[in-house]
Amino acid sequence: MTREEIIRSCLIFATGLFLLAFTLGPFIWMIWISLADRADFLVTGQVEYSLSNYRQVLTAHSLHFLDYLSNSLWISTITAIIVTLFSSMAAYAVSRMRFPGRSVVPLLILAMSMFPQISIVGYLFEMFSKAGLINSHMALILPYIAWTIPIALWINMSYFTQIPLDLDKAALVDGASRMKVLYKIIFPLALPGIFSSALLVFIACFNEFLFAIMLTIDYTAQTLPVGIALFQGLHGEIPWGNLMAASAIASVPLVILTLIFQRYIVAGLMGGAVKG
Amino acid sequence: MNATKITIKSLAKSFVTFRGKVDVLKSIDLEIEPGEFFVLLGPSGCGKSTLLNLLAGLEKPSGGELYFDQELVADSVGKFSGPFERDISMVFQSYALYPHMTVEGNIAFPLTNLPQVPSPKVMQAKVKEAATLLQIDHLLDRKPAELSGGQRQRVAIGRAIVRNPKVCLMDEPLSNLDAKLRNEMRAHLKDLQKKLGVTTIYVTHDQLEAMTLGHRIAIMNNGVLQQVGTPVEIYRAPINQFVARFIGSPTMNMLTGDLNEENGSLYLQADTLKIKLPTETACKLKPKNLKKITLGVRPERLYVITEGEQNLALPVNVIENVGPEFLIYSFHKQGQIVVRTPDEPVGDSLCLALDAGHLHLFDDQGARINL
Ligand SMILES: Nc1ncnc2c1ncn2[C@@H]1O[C@H](COP(=O)(O)OP(=O)(O)OP(=O)(O)O)[C@@H](O)[C@H]1O
Ligand SMILES: [Mg+2]
Repeated sequence: MTREEIIRSCLIFATGLFLLAFTLGPFIWMIWISLADRADFLVTGQVEYSLSNYRQVLTAHSLHFLDYLSNSLWISTITAIIVTLFSSMAAYAVSRMRFPGRSVVPLLILAMSMFPQISIVGYLFEMFSKAGLINSHMALILPYIAWTIPIALWINMSYFTQIPLDLDKAALVDGASRMKVLYKIIFPLALPGIFSSALLVFIACFNEFLFAIMLTIDYTAQTLPVGIALFQGLHGEIPWGNLMAASAIASVPLVILTLIFQRYIVAGLMGGAVKG
Repeated sequence: MNATKITIKSLAKSFVTFRGKVDVLKSIDLEIEPGEFFVLLGPSGCGKSTLLNLLAGLEKPSGGELYFDQELVADSVGKFSGPFERDISMVFQSYALYPHMTVEGNIAFPLTNLPQVPSPKVMQAKVKEAATLLQIDHLLDRKPAELSGGQRQRVAIGRAIVRNPKVCLMDEPLSNLDAKLRNEMRAHLKDLQKKLGVTTIYVTHDQLEAMTLGHRIAIMNNGVLQQVGTPVEIYRAPINQFVARFIGSPTMNMLTGDLNEENGSLYLQADTLKIKLPTETACKLKPKNLKKITLGVRPERLYVITEGEQNLALPVNVIENVGPEFLIYSFHKQGQIVVRTPDEPVGDSLCLALDAGHLHLFDDQGARINL
């Protein structure tokens, strides 16, 4: 190895280490606290490790943790499915068909996502109150769909436009209907894009806080971020151990999902379609 | 055999873009006979693929009519049947193989779309048959990414022939292969078409491919048909300067100049070069009273002579030995003049004779003058 190469690998190693510490640090700390019986153990030095925090979170009815978890899973899953369905079909249309305004539509949709959430949440509250939707899953699913569709559309569009138009034509010539072209040829090839957008939408909804806290009232509709934030100790103190245990559990679905999906989010699926 | 006749009547196509209307095809009239290997030849961007897309049913015409046998398949008013109803297949300029399917899946795909999907066994047999014909039966379980260019190209052809279409359209299928493979595939294609007897329309911008493959050739430029005919007809009697230059390699020599009469002989004065026209040509040309003409003569029809009456003399600038023959280049103000001869030339100038039967004359509009 030359001097230059040594310096290079040192720098890469150092940067990697820093990034790892930066992202994993809080997570490790979270687990650590969740396992300890008291949050101030670093100051006092007296500590016992156990799983009691986890047990409490999962079993204590008053904490409603399982309610929050199921609300979150339902709302995020339904939103992700609907958004993926609509955004991928829209992306297909925008990337394949000639219709007036086809270059304007995606920009308009993107422009809508530029309004800060806080600026519309008040109106949403009023609207949903009138419709009697406050404190229901619907109250979150509807705004989440509107809020995540732009990003999903743009991700999908970037994947769809990479698929050569000749493939559609070839499939049409081979006798496939438009629908069949879509699900036999285009969707399988755009799968990495569809999966990454679905995953991103799911994560965004799973973590969303503002809409969730404004448009829900109690555990029948509140999601995990809100639920955890509102954890109360018996005497009004902040129950750090429970909080951290709940957060740790809450991250499990995301980790599992990412592990499953990342297998599909691979590049290079397009090889061999065209000459070269 | 289910060969189809195709009739194209004043077919036109224009695209409306935000920069304005683009007329890509202007009133094309053509008849393609059943079972014919018909070649569409033209420079890049002249509208060949567009015409093919119209025939395929991937685009709607903006004017004119299109008939398969007696049946109207598309007009500009509203009648339009899609690719599948027309029972055509197509090999794309870019192959367009489905990357997520195996070779077998690719070739079988058209069969899975038939109104009555054949049983898996029949399907497999058909795929195998097509693959064997193209010598790719050992590749059936590979993905397109694992194939070479020539193999991909054959898969694309296999997909096109597997369901015995009425018409087979090919859009420059050989353009991305290396020279050797291209020659091989060319012969292969010709043989295949003969065996299948399917009406085939083949698009190319390579004149050699057109000459060797086609029963008949149509030459296009800027969306207008220039000439339709057999390769021999077009080679012997190109209808205008564009066709004359496009067909044949090396390109036909062209010299433009004024006609002068001296001592009863007719001369063409092309800048510094003075060419004496053969007596026979001169006799027929005189009554037409033309002032300015273009003389075209193919490199192999410029005969090097050592004695006898010469028609023109040229300086020798470059000599290329291309195996069995020599190409002699002489630089002229109007471009280079090429002479093709079997014998190595001696000296630094050439005496050349012309043969009245192998001269092409064009008027100042570029159209052929028939003598
Ligand atoms: N959808 C379209 N909109 C506007 N113009 C188009 C469209 N499709 C093709 N054209 C134009 O029509 C002309 C002919 O295109 P076409 O693809 O038929 O050429 P080609 O003869 O197949 O050329 P090549 O040999 O390069 O494939 C080109 O000038 C092209 O710019
Ligand atoms: Mg083309």
